[in-house]
Amino acid sequence: MFNTLGVVVEIAQALLALAVAPLLVGLIRWVKARLQNRRGAPVWQPYAELRKLFGKDTIVSSNASWIFRAAPFVVFGSTVVVALLVPVFVTPLPFNQVADLFALVYLLLLGTFALALGGLDPGSAFGGMGASREMTIASLSEPAIALAMLSLALGAGSTNLGEIAARTIAHPTDALSPGHILAFAALFIVMLAETGRLPVDNPATHLELTMIHEAMVLEYSGPALALVEWASWLKLTVFLTLAANLFVPWGLATSLAAGAIAMAVAATVAKLVVLAIGLAVFETRVAKLRLFRVPELLAVSFVLGLLAVTSSFSLR
Amino acid sequence: MTAAFALPLFWLMVAGYAIASAGLVMPTRRLVRMAVAIGSVAGGAGGLALACLVLWTDASLTIEAPAVLAAAGGWLVHLDRLGALFLALVSGVAIPVGLYAIAYMRSYEGRYSTRWMAFTFGAFLLSMSLVTVAANAVTFLLCWELMAVSSFFLVVTEHDRQASVDAGLWYLAMTHAGLLALMAAFFLLGSGSADGSGATFAALRSSAGLLPSETRAAIFLLALLGCGSKAGMVPFHVWLPRAHPAAPSHVSALMSAVMVKLGIYGLLRIGLDLLGGGPAWWGTLLIILGAASALTGVLYALVADDLKELLAYSTVENVGLVLLGVGAGFLFLSLGQPEAAMLALSAALLHLINHAAFKGALFLSAGSIVHATGTRDINLLGGLITRMPWTATTLLAGSMSIAALPPLNGFVSEWLLFQSFLPGVASSRASIAGLLTLGVGALALTGGLAAATFVKAFGVTCLAIPRSPGAAHAHESPGPMLAGMALLAAACPLLALATIPTLTTITGALAGVAGLPSIAPALHVGVTLRTPTGMATMSPVAVAMVLVAVVAGTWIVLRLIARRPVHVGDTWGCGRIGQSPRMEYTSTAFAEPLRRVFDQLYRPVDDTAVGVVRPESPYYIESMTYQTTIHPWFQRVLYEPVVQGVERVATWTRALQSGSVNAYVGYIVFVLVILLAWVIGF
Amino acid sequence: MDKLFSEVAVLGASGVLLCAILLVWRHHIDGYITAFKWQSNVLAALTAAVAYFGDDRDLYWVAALMVAVKGVAIPRLLTRLAARVGQHRESSPLVSTAASLVICGLLILLAYTAARPLQAMAAAPTHGGIPLAIGLMFVSLFVIVSSKKAISQVIGFLMLENAIALLAVLATYGVPLVVELGVFLDALMGFLVMQIVLYDIHDTFNTLDVDALSRLKH
Repeated sequence: MFNTLGVVVEIAQALLALAVAPLLVGLIRWVKARLQNRRGAPVWQPYAELRKLFGKDTIVSSNASWIFRAAPFVVFGSTVVVALLVPVFVTPLPFNQVADLFALVYLLLLGTFALALGGLDPGSAFGGMGASREMTIASLSEPAIALAMLSLALGAGSTNLGEIAARTIAHPTDALSPGHILAFAALFIVMLAETGRLPVDNPATHLELTMIHEAMVLEYSGPALALVEWASWLKLTVFLTLAANLFVPWGLATSLAAGAIAMAVAATVAKLVVLAIGLAVFETRVAKLRLFRVPELLAVSFVLGLLAVTSSFSLR
Repeated sequence: MTAAFALPLFWLMVAGYAIASAGLVMPTRRLVRMAVAIGSVAGGAGGLALACLVLWTDASLTIEAPAVLAAAGGWLVHLDRLGALFLALVSGVAIPVGLYAIAYMRSYEGRYSTRWMAFTFGAFLLSMSLVTVAANAVTFLLCWELMAVSSFFLVVTEHDRQASVDAGLWYLAMTHAGLLALMAAFFLLGSGSADGSGATFAALRSSAGLLPSETRAAIFLLALLGCGSKAGMVPFHVWLPRAHPAAPSHVSALMSAVMVKLGIYGLLRIGLDLLGGGPAWWGTLLIILGAASALTGVLYALVADDLKELLAYSTVENVGLVLLGVGAGFLFLSLGQPEAAMLALSAALLHLINHAAFKGALFLSAGSIVHATGTRDINLLGGLITRMPWTATTLLAGSMSIAALPPLNGFVSEWLLFQSFLPGVASSRASIAGLLTLGVGALALTGGLAAATFVKAFGVTCLAIPRSPGAAHAHESPGPMLAGMALLAAACPLLALATIPTLTTITGALAGVAGLPSIAPALHVGVTLRTPTGMATMSPVAVAMVLVAVVAGTWIVLRLIARRPVHVGDTWGCGRIGQSPRMEYTSTAFAEPLRRVFDQLYRPVDDTAVGVVRPESPYYIESMTYQTTIHPWFQRVLYEPVVQGVERVATWTRALQSGSVNAYVGYIVFVLVILLAWVIGF
Repeated sequence: MDKLFSEVAVLGASGVLLCAILLVWRHHIDGYITAFKWQSNVLAALTAAVAYFGDDRDLYWVAALMVAVKGVAIPRLLTRLAARVGQHRESSPLVSTAASLVICGLLILLAYTAARPLQAMAAAPTHGGIPLAIGLMFVSLFVIVSSKKAISQVIGFLMLENAIALLAVLATYGVPLVVELGVFLDALMGFLVMQIVLYDIHDTFNTLDVDALSRLKH
């Protein structure tokens, strides 16, 4: 259970996800730029941003308390823990007994909670607005996530991530079953909401009428801002990895052999790149929704999740 | 051998609470407070030790006094494991609350009688403990009524405020309606056995099997009405958001953390233990009512601006979650899946215990805040984290737990509740699967909305700048209050880490009730929780360790590698200088997007009025007033018609009291004549 | 093979139902027409798939007819009507969008419970989609009940037609070709009549709001 190699592999996978996250976001921005007929920044621009931010001083508001200073660490830490639990290139993981889908959702909620409090702390209207909108969207996407995960869990008989991936590997035709496809659609919409991509939130805007996530983190600067940004990129990577490795898990290593792991790394990176390009194309295609239309979108995703669960009723 | 300790511990508990009540006769105010504190702590310690004794060894306690109330069946006390679980709950919360009361009661001295408060407080604690050990109908009902009456007096402590008296009257009316329902339920239960009402629980249990199914259904519904209204189940919850804010905060903590749980205890005792479960519609009804309570509670908590009202509605929500688990347990039992039923019931009881810890901490913190700032309105608070750091920390701990965030205890019990629903969704009957799917959806939505509510409750109350002078001049509460809050707040992460022993105790308490199997060995492997029916695993200890390690590691790495100077400046104001409290987000503003989403459920009444207009033109408006009220529609639709009907009947009956002596003598003669005719006729 | 057939059937039925959900989500008449068009096309594709797996040549003709009539002709007529009448938005619906979507979800769950006896009767591999067809029926009825514009109600009625066709395809692999032709003719005739009535209503009241029709009482 606690073999050293397993722990090393697990930590390595989290570090890999951490390292790949800025690259993915850079890729998405570059593809969007090209599709919009711009040249766009190079794909490794986010790394440069991180380096710049880590070198800057921090300015903290005089109204803020320790919560403001602690929030970036909590959100970064909880996202890294999630990255430790998601099967990035190995399944089942050495820490598999904690790799539960619902635990994942609540760990991400911990990060959102901390950021919302950090947004309220300086006492600015931006932070309050961002926190209020973010909590609205986070709470309304909960039922959709729960039902999507329920449908995945029904197939595998458990909410354990390793079990779900193993089950899909063992039954390849299940990947095209209606339950899976509907759950994927529901999860895709929820991912857009949770990671603040179009059509829910525009990650590139700084206009107060359109900000959600950006408004919450407006006061952060220096290394704290670097942590917050990195955490949100890592969250996107984690969601994409979940989409890739739960729904299309072939390529995942089932043992700790070096060859299998190398192939798994390549396969996962390839899947992530494909998904990132798909996301970029999708984002270019849609326009941002009004804030009060977002609950309707989440209600659609709830119905999709419900259909995903019920489709398994009849195929039993 | 250890069983010999049971009786002395019981009398220690009774003596302790009697000392607290003896505060009535204490000469000085300080002695009154000390009596309450020492009495509660001693009584609580005795009760807790007794409960642990019964839960972890084979000891049991029986005290008979057939001479007392002999006509109704005599006084009988018997502590079994199920009762011991709830006794532990009562006693466990009594200790921090007693500590808290030493300093908190000071704010009531002078204006109100703290002696009477002490007396009723001791009676309240004693009656709650006795409800859990009652073993026949008359003892149970007597202690139930005593609990209601003593808490009524505590609720109307501030008797010069109309709102408190109102709250007390609503509470009294509804608890007595519930009592009538319970009496009817016991009467029907006893109708099956030979010696009528007052039969012991043991006798009722054995005779209940012979009752026809309509009677069992009636008993269940009556018990649901009586115990559900005590627990705060929708639609009988309307007394809760009135009574809990009106009562003194330590009493609110006891009521939310413990008294409503005794409603669940009554339901489990009558429905599960005595009746032994029932057909599938019982569980279905409980699930539907539980989901309704959870969603109603959290939706109204979201838009509440009064801190204690928010916490009271949140209690309704959590009671709804517990009822979801209990309902799932009843449902699985009726479908012949006892292991799944055991898991669901254990999850519900674990959530019940966890809720007592964090809701107690939250109410005590709220009391501390109200005590220091003089206001319950969240829109007037703010900035308390620097002025009252310890209170803010306990409020944060309670908020994080109730929002079900890892690694605290709320997360563990919600996870377990989710897992307990899975076997039902996998069932082959579409109606059951559909119902439990909706249950999972309701559970998830409630969890998300609760997180949003408590970001508001903690964030707007404690963070940023104070919004009123009361909040600006707040100071930290005295030591004993902090001690009480800290005990309950520390219990949150501790309960999370100690989930497995707690769960083992719970399954031990439930095993044997209504034929439930003991699944304790299958529930964990080492420090990992495991569901027996599926292969889901989760380890609260591991999650906590990994989370703390990663967060601390990040902080250390950052200090070593990227140590940058920190400057303090103004909050970004788009070039504007200065930050005033008017620019912050208020509690109403925070909840506004969600209020809009659920507009059709809240049906708020919005009123915008133009205030001052400049003389140059009607379009130069200097001030406007915006007012929004949310009137809980349960009251409008369900209760107001009933109250109006009763008033109409009462007004009509008042015609009998004409005031003339002739009429009164006439009534007497009339009745005599009728009686005479009746007697002669037969 | 049978398993693939079942999955395709459920997938197709889910797609048809999803187009209905899309319709409930959108607010513009153009969105409604698009959703209806896609729904008819998906239904036609599903019919063709059933024809392939069930070895029934007639169903290919039915699928082609469905595309021609419901996928092309009727949407064109609807677009012309909408352009002529000038109504493009469903203003202030009876039930808010989010609430409608949740109600549709509940109706689908209800359909699953209601469809139990039907599913037990049908032994075909496609029986998994029957609850979805019944759910679509409930959703269409809900659309008709909760719309305030006459044109939305007409589209709801057309969706109900689709639902019955879906049920027929899944339960009994369609009905004899002659009956199908008759049903299509019926639907087309009914739609043309409704069109004429809609033009009339618009000319009289200058709006397609069904609330205005209550003025006919006086």
